[in-house]
Amino acid sequence: MFDTYMKDMNRLVWLPVSAGVLALPLLLGDGYYLNVLNFIALYSMIAIGLCLLIGYCGQLSISHSAFFAIGAYSSAILSLRFGFHPFVAILISQLISAVLALGIGSVVLRLKGHYLAIATLSFTIIVEVIIVEAAWVTGGLQGLSGIPPLSLGSMELDTDLGVYYVVWPVLLLLLLFALNLIDSRFGRVIKGIRENEDVMRLFGVGVYGYKVKVFVLSSVYASIAGSLYAHFIGFVSPSAASLSFAIDIIMVLAFGGFNLIWGAMLGAAAITYLTEYLTDFADFKRVAFGVALVVVMIIFPSGLLPGLQRWLKAGRRAPTGAQR
Amino acid sequence: MTTMIEISNIDVAYGKVPVLSDVSLTVAKGEIVTLIGANGAGKTTLFRALTGVLPKSRGSIVLDGKDITRMKPDRVAREGLAVVPEGRRLFGPMSVLDNLMLGSFLRLTGQGKGAVNEDLDMVFDLFPRLAERREQLARTLSGGEQQMVAISRALMARPKVILMDEPSIGLAPIIVREVFDVIRKLKESGITILLIEQNARMALKVADRAYVMEIGRITAEGDAGDLRQSDIIRKLYLAA
Ligand SMILES: Nc1ncnc2c1ncn2[C@@H]1O[C@H](COP(=O)(O)OP(=O)(O)O)[C@@H](O)[C@H]1O
Ligand SMILES: [Mg+2]
Repeated sequence: MFDTYMKDMNRLVWLPVSAGVLALPLLLGDGYYLNVLNFIALYSMIAIGLCLLIGYCGQLSISHSAFFAIGAYSSAILSLRFGFHPFVAILISQLISAVLALGIGSVVLRLKGHYLAIATLSFTIIVEVIIVEAAWVTGGLQGLSGIPPLSLGSMELDTDLGVYYVVWPVLLLLLLFALNLIDSRFGRVIKGIRENEDVMRLFGVGVYGYKVKVFVLSSVYASIAGSLYAHFIGFVSPSAASLSFAIDIIMVLAFGGFNLIWGAMLGAAAITYLTEYLTDFADFKRVAFGVALVVVMIIFPSGLLPGLQRWLKAGRRAPTGAQR
Repeated sequence: MTTMIEISNIDVAYGKVPVLSDVSLTVAKGEIVTLIGANGAGKTTLFRALTGVLPKSRGSIVLDGKDITRMKPDRVAREGLAVVPEGRRLFGPMSVLDNLMLGSFLRLTGQGKGAVNEDLDMVFDLFPRLAERREQLARTLSGGEQQMVAISRALMARPKVILMDEPSIGLAPIIVREVFDVIRKLKESGITILLIEQNARMALKVADRAYVMEIGRITAEGDAGDLRQSDIIRKLYLAA
């Protein structure tokens, strides 16, 4: 019921959403809101990738800030030190991230549950340490600045509007890919792994291989966001790889609902908006996040979007408790 | 007659704790063989040993002429063994259709979508109720319906042998009868089944041959009809 309903909805909704997103600046003009939306897009990319891994495949990983940072630093170093065009730097960075994710994933995905979480968390800490210590390439604590902005030919896309028309189309494509993936045979298999990987093995599924594939894909989603961020902001620092950033992204998912792609986007929007709104409060931000999260979890234990959906439907018929 | 499963003198342990010792059992093509035994006898342990979940410290298992003794579960599945696990183990928040399609995971890679659609028709013929509920989430089905999904999921693999672990457990008597009717129907279509059961009365009625397991050993075997008359079974009835 809900499954097929969502399948149809995904296809039906993606197109108007995309059209709306691309038309928005034409209607509202340039403005600071675009800057906020650009951050929402970047957050959404990481959240969607993580949603595939945690929500759909059931593998709790805390390494997404690490891959965000790997994408950001690779892109920064390739364009700053080696003079690659930003778009080329971004592409090569994804290759680097994919290879690293394959290596790391092949090792850590032999673990399950809490052990997997701890192993990925350790990886994140190691990446942060390496970035700080390898100052001759990474700039250490100072980070790297002056990263060239995205450009098309001679036109530099260094305005919020220019960046908007890069990050949002990229996000929409990544979104479409994820939506199609979860409704495909591959998607069905990873959901089965989330539910019961032992039974999947009894039906001939090479579970480990699937987990590694999702891990790589999900890491590349974070890494694409990182690369775009580097060229968008022009500056990267070790905080990109920090544990607190990794936890922010998990909060995004908890907010939106762990196993809904659209929920991941809604969570990203909510968290980015909160960050903006609370920017004057500095450290108080984290407290407010926590409080907001607890409130959402109490009202909507399965996340904001599934909760809202059920709440809206409740008027028409009894809630089914269906979720993916 | 070709031998489908040949288990020869296996020992199985959980770590250092031995559970099965010197277990031998054969299933011929097209046969229904039942393994009966009280709770804790080691039936599920045999299920795990056969499917490759547990290692065998001695003995061998051959499936349709192929040695599967040391194979991992996904490899054993590839050799043509499908399972109906104890407690059904459905993918609860997924639809009936998705559950069935996961059963045909290997068929999809091997034979493609057309073959799988035919299998679906076959399964829905057998269980019209599942056809109506194909979009329903598995966990919202009744116990009996869930068991039908579990059996169908195994059928979707188009296996050489189906291994069932207590398909009647936890079901109302009338549903138990339904499950055994299905097993009888499957037998007519020529499917080979190894049926693990505690419900000796029902199991012996559908099976051709039977093995009795007590504390990790096979203590009796023979024609199902003969065993129904024997003292051993009367003893088991009382125990169960
Ligand atoms: N995972 C396990 N670890 C250790 N011992 C186990 C495990 N599973 C079952 N056993 C033991 O193995 C014996 C047989 O159990 P089992 O095969 O589940 O019996 P049955 O399926 O016939 O009820 C029991 O004594 C049980 O306590
Ligand atoms: Mg058992």
